Amino acid sequence: MWLEINNLHKKFGAEPVLGDLSFRLAERQMLSILGRSGCGKTTLLKIIAGLETPDAGVIKIAGKVINNVSAHRRNIVYIYQEPLLFPHLNVFENVAFGLRLRKIQNPTIESKVLEMLEALELNEQARKMPHQLSGGQRQRVAFGRALIISPQMLLLDEPFGALDTETRAVMQVLLKKIMQTHPITAIFVTHDLKEAIIMGDAIGMMEKGKLDIYPDKKTFIEHNEHVKNEINFWQNL
Amino acid sequence: MSKYLFKIILSIIILLPFAVLAVLSLGRNWAFPAVLPAVFTFDNWRVLLLAQSDLSQSLALSLFISIVIATAVTIASFFTSKFISFSPWRRRWLLIAYFPYMFAPVILAACLQYYFLRLGWAGSAGGVMLAQLFIAYPFGVIIFTGFWNERLHNMEQLVATLGGNAWQTYTRVLLPVAKGALLICFFQTFLISWFEYGLTRLIGVGKIQTLTLKVFQYVNEANVFYAALASILLAVPPIVLLWLNKRYVFVNFN
Repeated sequence: MWLEINNLHKKFGAEPVLGDLSFRLAERQMLSILGRSGCGKTTLLKIIAGLETPDAGVIKIAGKVINNVSAHRRNIVYIYQEPLLFPHLNVFENVAFGLRLRKIQNPTIESKVLEMLEALELNEQARKMPHQLSGGQRQRVAFGRALIISPQMLLLDEPFGALDTETRAVMQVLLKKIMQTHPITAIFVTHDLKEAIIMGDAIGMMEKGKLDIYPDKKTFIEHNEHVKNEINFWQNL
Repeated sequence: MSKYLFKIILSIIILLPFAVLAVLSLGRNWAFPAVLPAVFTFDNWRVLLLAQSDLSQSLALSLFISIVIATAVTIASFFTSKFISFSPWRRRWLLIAYFPYMFAPVILAACLQYYFLRLGWAGSAGGVMLAQLFIAYPFGVIIFTGFWNERLHNMEQLVATLGGNAWQTYTRVLLPVAKGALLICFFQTFLISWFEYGLTRLIGVGKIQTLTLKVFQYVNEANVFYAALASILLAVPPIVLLWLNKRYVFVNFN
């Protein structure tokens, strides 16, 4: 397996957040993780990104232990619920940000950014500042900024949580489409059951710092009472 | 029309004191009951051109002290406030930052003077600057604590995951985003130092004659012409800073 998490432990003070958590994920797969607030989803993502240190446990990518690799060298991008666009940069420069950090030549940056903006249907907005964009457009810029550097992994922490239902559905389709053209291993954290099923190749359920992974949607539905109830509700409506 | 009239009246009220000061700074031989000075000359202003004159030395000293204080405080408080904002003891640190404002600056100066005299730091520009830091530095920290928040912390972490090291995070994101707060902090702490009287007088023990002290000295000597000239010089930096604020800081909020 490409990503291997073994016996991860994390406490904040006396409170355990992750307890002996282990899982595996194949390359270019997207794992959806469902779970209630405070169950440790964000902490898990931050540990994988290198933004938090685990108390114990091993993280391996492609067979290499990355525990001691700092966040800026991991090439794992963390996408927050809030797009967190840089307010002093326009859309073009926000998307180009990671390439500028890597000191890529200007003509290459220009062509890559324009290509990305086209894929994100943002070419009309290139010169606009973040405050001139809608919520959905901002989140698309955030995706473009992350994808353009070809990260080895993408961590999405409820990226559509702040969007309205309609925009959320559009964004789910768009992200699915982008992930097909830019296949990247990803973990997608969400509260939304439907979103988890739409987005994930595999689905995980996190509770009290433990993660159960279901290899496919069918197994997930069969083993989950809450999902069955939800399906019954819609069928009997 | 009434709005226009109001603006004119307001402008007159604001500008009149400066006009009177300007007239006085050009005057000589003004004896009662004459309405205006008998002689108008640029002689008072010419003393500024003399490197050895008290006034030009005070002006240079004040500029030096205020620029050093404002620069040092802006840099130090930017980083200190970051540490405080994300510290588990944030409230405790902030309470300490507010501590110097529990007293009037003169009382604080009286408390500090003993230690400065014992350490031999009183009566020197370095001693005065160190004393001014007791007021300006916490003020800078308080200005920046509103700047650091969870969103900025997340932004900093995001830059790291995009491949940015600490230097790139500061130069490409944090400092540009903080531009407004940095300028406000610089301007405010410059003005605190520029107009500081009590601390400067007590810690400077008469040897450090900043422009603010000079104005009081001329007033006490009843030298109205030099007092007016020094007052105009004292008012120039705040006017320049107000203009710069309007031009470069508040433009971001439009």
